[in-house]
Amino acid sequence: MPVVELSLSRLQNLVGKKANKKQILDSLPFLGLDIESLDGNIVRVEYSPNRPDYSTDFGIALGLQGILGISKGILKLDVKKQGNYEIKVDNSTSKVRPFVTGIIARNGSLDNESVKQLINMQEDLHFGLGRKRKKSSIGIHDLDRISFPLKYTTTSRDHRFVPLNSTKESSISEILQDSEVGRDYGSILGQSAKVPIITDANGQTVSFPPIINAALTTVTTKTKNLLVEVTGMDKQSAEDMLSIVVTILQGAGFQFSQLKVSGSKNSTPNFAPRSITFDTDPVNKILGLNISGSVLLSCLKKCRLDAVMKGKKIQCTIPRYRFDIFGGMDIVEEVALGYGIDNLKPAWPASVHIGEKNMTSEKLDSISRLMTGFGFMETLNFTLTSEQILYEMANRDSSQIISVTSSKSQEHTILRDSILPGLLENLSKNIHETYPQKFFESGIVFSKGAPIKETSSLACVTASEETHFSEMKAVLQSLLRIGFNIKCETKTLPNHVFFSQGRVAEIVVNKKTVGYIGELDSKILENFRIRTKVVGFEIKLSGLIFD
Amino acid sequence: MSHVLHDIEKQIIKVLQSVPNLTEEKISQETKLSMDQIRRGVEWLRQKKLADVSESVNISLSLGKNGLDALKNGLPERRLVNLVKDGPKTFDEIRSSLQGFDFNAAIAHAKKNDWIDIEKTYTGSKISLKDPDADVPNDSDLIISKLGEKTIVPTEFDNTPLAEPLKSLMERPDFIIAHEEKTKTVSLSETGKKIDLEKLDSGAIDVEADVPHVHAARIHPLKDTINEVRETFAHLGFTEIIGDLSQSSFWNFDALFTPQDHPARELQDTFYLKGLNAKQLATPTQIKNVSNAHKKGWRYYWDIQEAKKMVLRTHTTCVTIKYLADKKPDEARIFSLGRVFRNEKVSYKHLVEFNQVEGIVVGKHITLRDLMGIQKEFYRKIGLTKVKFWPTFFPYTEPSLQSMVYNERLGKWIELFGMGIFRPEVTKPLGITKPVLAWGGGIERIAMLKFGLDDVREFYNNNLSWLRTASKCQ
Repeated sequence: MPVVELSLSRLQNLVGKKANKKQILDSLPFLGLDIESLDGNIVRVEYSPNRPDYSTDFGIALGLQGILGISKGILKLDVKKQGNYEIKVDNSTSKVRPFVTGIIARNGSLDNESVKQLINMQEDLHFGLGRKRKKSSIGIHDLDRISFPLKYTTTSRDHRFVPLNSTKESSISEILQDSEVGRDYGSILGQSAKVPIITDANGQTVSFPPIINAALTTVTTKTKNLLVEVTGMDKQSAEDMLSIVVTILQGAGFQFSQLKVSGSKNSTPNFAPRSITFDTDPVNKILGLNISGSVLLSCLKKCRLDAVMKGKKIQCTIPRYRFDIFGGMDIVEEVALGYGIDNLKPAWPASVHIGEKNMTSEKLDSISRLMTGFGFMETLNFTLTSEQILYEMANRDSSQIISVTSSKSQEHTILRDSILPGLLENLSKNIHETYPQKFFESGIVFSKGAPIKETSSLACVTASEETHFSEMKAVLQSLLRIGFNIKCETKTLPNHVFFSQGRVAEIVVNKKTVGYIGELDSKILENFRIRTKVVGFEIKLSGLIFD
Repeated sequence: MSHVLHDIEKQIIKVLQSVPNLTEEKISQETKLSMDQIRRGVEWLRQKKLADVSESVNISLSLGKNGLDALKNGLPERRLVNLVKDGPKTFDEIRSSLQGFDFNAAIAHAKKNDWIDIEKTYTGSKISLKDPDADVPNDSDLIISKLGEKTIVPTEFDNTPLAEPLKSLMERPDFIIAHEEKTKTVSLSETGKKIDLEKLDSGAIDVEADVPHVHAARIHPLKDTINEVRETFAHLGFTEIIGDLSQSSFWNFDALFTPQDHPARELQDTFYLKGLNAKQLATPTQIKNVSNAHKKGWRYYWDIQEAKKMVLRTHTTCVTIKYLADKKPDEARIFSLGRVFRNEKVSYKHLVEFNQVEGIVVGKHITLRDLMGIQKEFYRKIGLTKVKFWPTFFPYTEPSLQSMVYNERLGKWIELFGMGIFRPEVTKPLGITKPVLAWGGGIERIAMLKFGLDDVREFYNNNLSWLRTASKCQ
């Protein structure tokens, strides 16, 4: 989950002096913000990806004001139609990145911390909502360096301009090859000869989306007026992202003017709120509450929504940036948050249900009990294991290997088809402990088949100088007889890679082979650095004691 | 005072009553008991104040590598003197029979003893005997030959003319090795001496004596917690269902309204099974409805090929949602427990494979407060009493809460199970009409609290000494 770093004193200024720092800290979790660390004035919180408006302290302050009752309802957004700000979209963009949208933000001021918060917001939006800039990406520019109208068009890869954080001109190809952002995000543009570009009325490059802005429009703490542009593959997601930026800039004290967007299926963004109308009864029912309409309205307003009674129904108005609200159930959650999760008292529902464990679980349990009774210690190994343990050290056939893609760990790359190698690994790790050592494990093993088959097996080993085949056979037969009234036989097997020649047998139940039992081959023991004798067996339980 | 003595103790006392001071080795020889038994017996007697132990260190000397060499060929300086006895020799001439380290040692010691002169000439340095007629002392040679015969206790040379040469030889590398040997001499205390072995009651044993640890074969500690959780779910009226660890992306993600470009579905978070695609996904209606829900909710082209990709399940929810979609119960309490997988870097708090449990309540009249109550009762049954709830976010539930449990040992609130009501975007396309409330989470975390562990990897290390001794602290 994304993390945002906040200064408590700054947050208090934004929320308003009526709230003290303790109230603010205590309230953060009830907005769904997990406090990750607190160090003096600096608090780091984790926010949920569905609330990108919490990616800055401006957005969090808005939420805190609501839940603390300092300021409730929608923060009115006024987008003036004054000024002649326009961006015209060229048809050629439809093949690479078809949509652009944006807004003019005026008369604000940004200190260092505000710039830091905006950069954090931009990175989080790019990563989450923007799907690593693929779906949509933002550019924020110094408005006073730009002449209107702007043009959103495409250009060739030898187009040159001075990119952000640089003083010399580079070509698009050079930027894609030589800069970090170019290398990280260049693949979004694929192999297309033409790439998207925003230029101003004087033909100056403003931005090369989704890669980098031009140095010309760099935002500093001296910047008063901003142009925000968002480009993307989908009109609605671009406008979703823009609405978050607008809300945060509104919190930072900016005023807004419209940026007209026209051409090639594009249009000027609309920030109008939506309404949802719903009955109060289902909300009370699902939360287990019985609160009146007026309390319900107040709960919603505390979540910075607007709501009015329409007869017996509630009409809730949702600002543009709350696109995480899909429908009725989301409103139920808002009511719960406004009511205060702390005020929801746990109840105990009467139930006629009789619970029970699954038959397979029950039988595996009884195997565990019997095996510990025979003196075997239970171990637990991963089913996603390593080729080295399962095949190389165990000298087994790896032709039916099932592997996962792109594992971050060498030790977890393939699914086990047998439990016994894991038990040898357990013995190997405990050679400094006292003997005899006796281990067992039951669990899932995998094999190929339409497309994959999962069955349960049991394996066990005894390691000691004095152990021998008959000791293990005695355990096997007693286990099956006592636990499941099954009679098993052991039939001579000429050879098996895992076991010593002449000391290995198939386990046969009702003329069907269900496993192997024997003394482990000395070469394999050597691979696992085990210096004592080991006998063991592995038996398939699926099809034997359960389906 | 009567004493209850072990047979070992009795035998040691018997020997010491006839010979008052003996080393442990000697007692072992006399009693024919092993050194290990003697050590234990002596320690018991010492604790009972029946015997005293005095420790002494004996040093003995023997020849080292260079010493043995000198025994065979003579000390380097002696060899040098022999070479120049008949007249001066150049360095090169001497080097032909005394090389490297020996050459340097010979020159240094002969010079220190003032036996030789070195004269520098144009053709190289020459060495001659200082006084060809005088006898060159042979104390050091004597020491070497004595040590060649047998090991010697150094005090033997005290106050003899050999004391000084010995000291100097011991400072030279690898000529003489000093062995330190500790011996324990055991004697009886006054009480010990007075014990009449004949009169001791032979049938009595020391019932107060310490005994060795024995190890029980046992269920794995994590399995023990898993069993407790499973048992508790059953007590709360939940019935267990099981499902495969390998699942199609359809049930793991698509059916839970997770869009196909969602970060959680990327290779770096989820394990995909190389080259494996599901043959049968779901019923045609289920596929059609889920596809439509994605198109409507997330506005993108929903690709059935993407849904067919096989993954290792990232949660047990894929099992419960499939059960609900197939059975469509009006009333139910079910749960699913088992291994789940995340492509993470392994650390003290993250594993790639761990256990999760998830309970589902379906019912016309079930409420969020009921779900909080069920959870509180669950925690009470497994011994966790301080519980509170915070809002959180899960992609497929709304509203969503997380439970926080206070841990005394760590002195802080720990995030445990999550809970929520399945989104209509999840339930509706699958034909589930009643509200579905879900709750659950990782089990290792609970087991860590129970066994006081701070590193989750310990559960899968299968370290025998831990398995033998791990005990519950909660």
